[in-house]
Amino acid sequence: MAAIELTDLTKRFGDVTAVEDLTLSVERGEVFGFLGPNGAGKSTTINVLLGFLDPSAGSVRALGTDVTEDPRAVRQRTGLLPEAFECVPNLTAREHVETVIATKDADDDPDEVLDRVGLDPDDARRPADDYSTGMHQRMALAVALVGEPDLIVLDEPSAGLDPNGVQLVRDVVREEAERGATVFFSSHILDEVERVSDRVAILQDGRLAAVDAVDSLRENLGMGAVVEANVDVPPAVEPVAAVDGVTDVTVADSTVRVSCATGRAKMPALRRIDDATTVEDVQIEETSLEDLFEAYTAPGERGANATTDSGVAEPTDTEPDARAAPAGGDPS
Amino acid sequence: MSVRTVAGTDVRSIRRSSVVVGVVATFAAFVGLAMLGSSEVHPHPVRTTWGLAALVAWVLPLLLAPLSYLAIAGDRERGTITYHLGLPNSRAAYYGGKYVTRAGIATLTTALGVAIAVAVAFATYEHAPDPGQFLVFGGLSVLFALAMVGVFVAISASVATRSRAMVGVVGAYFVLSAFWVGPLPVLNLNTVLDAIASLPGVTIADSTRALIAALSPAGAYFNTLPELVWADAPARYTVFAQFDGRSDYLGFEPWYNVLVLLAWTGLAPVVGYLRFRQAELG
Repeated sequence: MAAIELTDLTKRFGDVTAVEDLTLSVERGEVFGFLGPNGAGKSTTINVLLGFLDPSAGSVRALGTDVTEDPRAVRQRTGLLPEAFECVPNLTAREHVETVIATKDADDDPDEVLDRVGLDPDDARRPADDYSTGMHQRMALAVALVGEPDLIVLDEPSAGLDPNGVQLVRDVVREEAERGATVFFSSHILDEVERVSDRVAILQDGRLAAVDAVDSLRENLGMGAVVEANVDVPPAVEPVAAVDGVTDVTVADSTVRVSCATGRAKMPALRRIDDATTVEDVQIEETSLEDLFEAYTAPGERGANATTDSGVAEPTDTEPDARAAPAGGDPS
Repeated sequence: MSVRTVAGTDVRSIRRSSVVVGVVATFAAFVGLAMLGSSEVHPHPVRTTWGLAALVAWVLPLLLAPLSYLAIAGDRERGTITYHLGLPNSRAAYYGGKYVTRAGIATLTTALGVAIAVAVAFATYEHAPDPGQFLVFGGLSVLFALAMVGVFVAISASVATRSRAMVGVVGAYFVLSAFWVGPLPVLNLNTVLDAIASLPGVTIADSTRALIAALSPAGAYFNTLPELVWADAPARYTVFAQFDGRSDYLGFEPWYNVLVLLAWTGLAPVVGYLRFRQAELG
């Protein structure tokens, strides 16, 4: 059973359509990255998912429950870190966590939860109003983790965190996923999303532009990877270019640069070079999620029906080719 | 229980704020000063309740307004509402928790003020206060305070920003108190009723005027006092004589006015909740 099922979700504010016909399914135990430029509709989707907003059309189910019918049941099993979390004035972090424990009727030890997110015990016992942004985020993360929720929704969890904090979020997400929780999170730190997500969805202008595993998105756009080999004698280009999945080969001095449409083409191409000459050094550049994000969200690259993963959104006949252009190759 | 958890969190938050202490202490100081100031002039403490009633009707709502208008609108603008409603709290529980704390502060402030009035009366007045009179006066004052706080919290729940809540609360205070009861020249209900009555073929009976004047919390509050608090006041105080032989209009009946106060106390929060239940919180 899916942890989150959005079916034809549409949310309008007057004449403005924030989310349109969004269909998305997040499996239980999955770490799901939710991406999109500012104003794409990410927070609106999350707000509908938690019952803060009513959908204009479509259905929203979380953990098997229709959110519009019983949002409390969903939130009982959900941990939320909202975007730009604001504390209750004059309350300490410990009191914030204690309140969550009491409300959820959980049996967590507040000190353990706060220790897990790296909040100093002394800081946890003073009013949170004066916390730094990073301390706020740690407190918000602690609030989200109380009660071992089945679904954890993190809206920009790394905002304001230093590198250690970002690593902490990453570790927590992994630990929660190992526990069996579903983690649904949006972040503008694409590297973070790429490292921990099983799949990502890219939202553009309120519509789903892509949803799939990052590797699959690379393949779909022909933005697989670039293999750069330093050789003692430059090999012939044609045999390397003939490798299935290779889209471009260039040779400059002692460097051979091979563009691969898929990650699977890297090793055969490298072997073909190694057969022809001596490889002294190798560098591999994976297409970053940032590149993918740009490809899907750049003006004119709207891909509402662009990418498929499990039948959620069907690809168009023309747009994948059009988007393959930035990678410089044919996705075949 | 979610209402209790929300209210408990809210109490912890606002009790550490100097605003609450300021509200309670300011009203207590005003009451104490009013009682002390009259102790040499009026031998009977009940005479000073005339002035205390004005303090309750005009000043107390203004003291409670800053705490009430931010109750929910403040959370919405600040974003704290996602903390409360991100938990398994229903909107009703959240609203109820917020209302309970504000109602509690209103009750505490009013009751403490009246208690101080009684204490000062015992200590400084020639005649001891009648506990029954002050108990009824306190009860009616609390009921009035709850009616006004209910209106303010309902407004706070009906809008998304602090500024709108503030405008709404100030507007409600002006309409329900200053305009309705009429201490301001021209800008009052009687002017409007006079204007309507001046239209050709329109007459407004005094009984109808009394009925309409009793429809606001302040109007109803003032209407309850002559019979329920001041009826047994010594005849030497001419200020109470104006109520002798008052017409037996429905608008002057204590039960009707208490009913109006109860209606405001009960219905205003319900209307606020119905608005809040439909609110888009994103």
